[in-house]
Amino acid sequence: MVSKQQVLRLVDLGHGYSEIGRLLGIPAGQAYLVATGIPADGGDTVTGRQRQRPGMLPSHSQRLVNPREMNPTHSDRVHEWVRTRAMRDRGPDASSR
Amino acid sequence: MRQPISIGSWPVWRQLTGPDGFGRAAAAKSGQSASLQARTASADRVVKSICPYCAVGCAQNVYVRDERVVQIEGDPDSPVSRGRLCPKGAATLQLTTGSGRLDKVLYRPPYGRDWQELDLDTAMDMIAERVIRTRRETWQWEVDGQRVARTMGIASLGGATLDNEENYLIKKLFTGLGVVQVENQARVCHSSTVIGLGTSFGRGGATTFLQDLQHADCIVIEGSNFAEAHPVGFQWVMEAKARGATVIHVDPRFTRTSALADLHVPLRAGTDVAFLGGIVNYVLTQEKDFREYVLAYTNASTIINDQFRDTEDLDGLFSGFDPEVHQYASETWQYEGTQEATASGDRDEAYERRLATRHHSHDSGRGEKHGSGGAALDGDPRQDPTLSDPHCVYQILKRHFSRYTPEMVERICGIPQDVFARVCGHLVEASGPERTSAFVYAVGWTQHTDGSQFIRTASILQLLLGNIGRPGGGIQALRGHASIQGSTDIPTLFNLLPGYLPMPHAHRHGSLDDFIDGDAARKGFWANMRAYMVSLLKAYWGPAAQPENDFRFDYLPRINGSHSAYDTTLEQLDGNCKGYFLLGENPAVGSANARMQRLGMANLDWLVVRDFSLIESATWWKDGPEIESGELSTERIGTEVFFLPAAAHTEKSGSFTNTNRMLQWHHQAVEPAGDQRSELWFMYHLGRIVRAKLAGSTEPMDQPILDLTWDYPTEGGTDEPMAEAVLAEINGWNAEGKPLSAYTEMRDDGSTASGCWIYCGVYADGINQAARRRPGEEQNWVGAEWTWSWPANRRMLYNRASARPDGRPWSERKRMVWWDEQAGRWTGYDVPDFEPTKRPDYQPPEGASGVAALRGTDAFIMQADGLGWLYVPSGVLDGPLPTHYEPQDSPVQNPLYGQQRNPARLLRPHAENRYHPSGSEPGAQIFPYVVTTYRLTEHFTAGAMSRNVPYLAELQPEFFCEVSPELATERGLEHAGWATIVTARNAIEARVLVTARMAPLRVDGRVIHQIGLPFHWGPNGLSHGDAANELSAISLDPNSHIQEVKAFSADIRPGRRPRGPARPAMVREYQRRAGITGRTGTGV
Repeated sequence: MVSKQQVLRLVDLGHGYSEIGRLLGIPAGQAYLVATGIPADGGDTVTGRQRQRPGMLPSHSQRLVNPREMNPTHSDRVHEWVRTRAMRDRGPDASSR
Repeated sequence: MRQPISIGSWPVWRQLTGPDGFGRAAAAKSGQSASLQARTASADRVVKSICPYCAVGCAQNVYVRDERVVQIEGDPDSPVSRGRLCPKGAATLQLTTGSGRLDKVLYRPPYGRDWQELDLDTAMDMIAERVIRTRRETWQWEVDGQRVARTMGIASLGGATLDNEENYLIKKLFTGLGVVQVENQARVCHSSTVIGLGTSFGRGGATTFLQDLQHADCIVIEGSNFAEAHPVGFQWVMEAKARGATVIHVDPRFTRTSALADLHVPLRAGTDVAFLGGIVNYVLTQEKDFREYVLAYTNASTIINDQFRDTEDLDGLFSGFDPEVHQYASETWQYEGTQEATASGDRDEAYERRLATRHHSHDSGRGEKHGSGGAALDGDPRQDPTLSDPHCVYQILKRHFSRYTPEMVERICGIPQDVFARVCGHLVEASGPERTSAFVYAVGWTQHTDGSQFIRTASILQLLLGNIGRPGGGIQALRGHASIQGSTDIPTLFNLLPGYLPMPHAHRHGSLDDFIDGDAARKGFWANMRAYMVSLLKAYWGPAAQPENDFRFDYLPRINGSHSAYDTTLEQLDGNCKGYFLLGENPAVGSANARMQRLGMANLDWLVVRDFSLIESATWWKDGPEIESGELSTERIGTEVFFLPAAAHTEKSGSFTNTNRMLQWHHQAVEPAGDQRSELWFMYHLGRIVRAKLAGSTEPMDQPILDLTWDYPTEGGTDEPMAEAVLAEINGWNAEGKPLSAYTEMRDDGSTASGCWIYCGVYADGINQAARRRPGEEQNWVGAEWTWSWPANRRMLYNRASARPDGRPWSERKRMVWWDEQAGRWTGYDVPDFEPTKRPDYQPPEGASGVAALRGTDAFIMQADGLGWLYVPSGVLDGPLPTHYEPQDSPVQNPLYGQQRNPARLLRPHAENRYHPSGSEPGAQIFPYVVTTYRLTEHFTAGAMSRNVPYLAELQPEFFCEVSPELATERGLEHAGWATIVTARNAIEARVLVTARMAPLRVDGRVIHQIGLPFHWGPNGLSHGDAANELSAISLDPNSHIQEVKAFSADIRPGRRPRGPARPAMVREYQRRAGITGRTGTGV
């Protein structure tokens, strides 16, 4: 069983949790839970004092358990469509004006 | 042969022999549990989404494996919800993947006894054919000699549960088809909010945002059960309380919100104006107003026309009332030296009056235009900074509210004077330069015949206390659908175009110039209305919209009165409206006088219902209450019904606008099953098919639909239109095809296109800003990089007022936005709601107009005079100031004035919509109790998204009524037994919940009992019961056309209601006993 001290030692050495998970053979989120006592998925309320615990990530710890997150913010196809629409919007005789 | 069990597999052995001596970790794990894996861990992807229920807008993670949604959880990155979901949000996995949803199209032919299956393509083709045919048969070029270019034969209802992009296509397509009767849930939920907040401040949305409630020193929650109806948002109230804030809950019922408040103040439903007016009177008589704020940022010093007469002078009426038509002329309400801009055109007053008489709709629906921009005014009003002129707003306010004494508040509301004094004390002590108070409300304020004035009263109070535009202050409107704010901004509403541009009126708006002259302000950002309108016309009609044809302004159909959802019901009963689309709305349960809704639908030629399951509005012809009573017979109902299953939020991409104007994107996680489709798909392909069928037509009526830009790219196996493309059109682009970054880039020469000017910026730089998800923990409480908020990503409106007139913060504790002299610009924690480099001491030059005419202290930049309006000279049809009136059906005589009810309320007298005698009128005693309706945590609006979800149906399994022990004794009601509740409209039954949470109130010397009814139930679903809205009447606020369902009189008796014909017979007997006729309750 992986101990808290093992994980925190690796954190002190500058390893990220994904790497620590690989090194110790456990999921990254579990390594975070072992080190901090806080579930990485954000499924618990974190107090101000808990935030001071060694090994705590300042934000977005859920990436450790949800690595395949999908949130695209732009589409090249839409950009192309917008350009086409704008060109067409000018009207049939736009070039002559 | 069983394998021998290794001792090493025993947890106790591992505990005793291993390092986990306390058995808290690996030692306690069995072989079986070790082999289990969480659904979240094995997901192929985690798709970012938003909860589809209420408008808090909780962020969700949707876990997908093998192209199936396997789990939905709260997203902890959201600065609003912080990973939390309420019971409904937590049930969205079952909502979206459960067996309650249908995936096949169903068809009921005219006079058919049952459903038939129909393939989707055939259904779409048939619907398109019906649209074309009905449009042809009912087309109107003119009404009363005025061009309208429309059809009244088709109507649409629904949009608040849908995405902004879907609302955009609904409005665009129907407008192209000439359909004006386009409405959604906003009409029945929060339309009064738009008038109340819009006319007071310049924009019709919440002035603040949920997270900022934590900074309040006092929070008054009134007209809302915040903790139960918006549970996740309520965490910010608890944060404030933890920091020392006083929380006050004012409500007829003691609820979980009351339990967590410092003070619960029970009041009689429908009397909030008297209560709030009492506080206004306290503030004014005790001179507790925040004088420097009031002088700088409100119209307190503005002089009003000396012809104005107040309710104090006319026993409850304002000057200008015409008893013949129950309407006010607002000329005497104006600022001295100004006039309404709408009076400046070539308007024919006689015609207007004639039209109003005919349609009972003078200025119908004009108020909601103020969703983004106060009324336009011409001229320069005079001001008296000493506030001593008897005609200045401040003095008028003092006189107007002087009657609202603590004694009067007690007589009207039933609130003891000592309790009222505590409220006043808390609120005043928590307001001023160092402290701020917030108001939070929901439909407990909006759904009244004077609902807009409820919100106006709170607006007056918050302006007097200096609580608008400041951290911890403001007015938070809690909206109840995922995108009901969005379906108002991008309106599926009859009287609005996107961005609160008014729908052109048949008479006033002949040309684009007339339209702009009539409605554009001369000062402030609304002065750029022409650019917003021309950009919209370019978005709609692209190359066909050119300067020489007025950008096809003539393609817009015209309204000529009220075409609201309730008027559509009457049009159906009259046989004028023949085709009806229900897009995620269930009026057979959720609209006032539900029975009348069904009778209207029974008179249609065709009906299209798009929902998850067979809601009551889809099945009334087969198993509705009128079938059971024998009033309708299935085989005699000619309505052709199409049921098309809808896609869930996890099956489509798009944005919801939450309760504080924040657009949040949800991504498609999986493809919908079977025939399930999004509204985006439905509207796009319906338009495509209609256009294909009309291709080549030279009929003038067909040109607007044929010229409509309708070429959205599609994707996926169902040819789903790309929602991001629709968002890009909403945002707009310039002539080079570059997305606009702000509405200030819009031009009125046709070189820019934008589908909704207030949403301009949501696609800035070609990035879907609504999909931004920088975790809340990486930002300050404002969370500016979490999605996007209108306008211009501002989270707190009017935040210029968070600084003194000279630009310095009012106090260090309440800093928000301030002037940085060195940098020469406004700065702070939020995007300044002001021109970024306009100095606080800026004075406009003589003759300045538009934005340049705004002074450096004009914090309310959408108002015609740059000020917060304590007094509204134009834009609110039932008076420039709020006045307490009794509800339409009330057992109490108005103690305040001789005027019993709102004289300008809208009534729809009809044999199916009878009103009660009121107050001391004979027969009022037949309906001696006050009913108020409300929402539960576990159910959602008219039940379509909860009564078919097993988790939720099990949590709240049955319709009930809440009554006090005293009322139970008075009427012989037994806890857990049955009661029948009766009005002049209908009779329903409910299980009885006897509870001290419903306290009897002593009102004007007598005891008034109230009955609480949750409004979610109907006959269909896993959990079913009678609908509370069977009881309510269509009696409307004249500004917003919202119905009064939060307070009306009724009778209650023990036992179940009669079955069959005996049910309507009971209602008729009550009408007879109360002496009710067609004229009852319809006088001034």
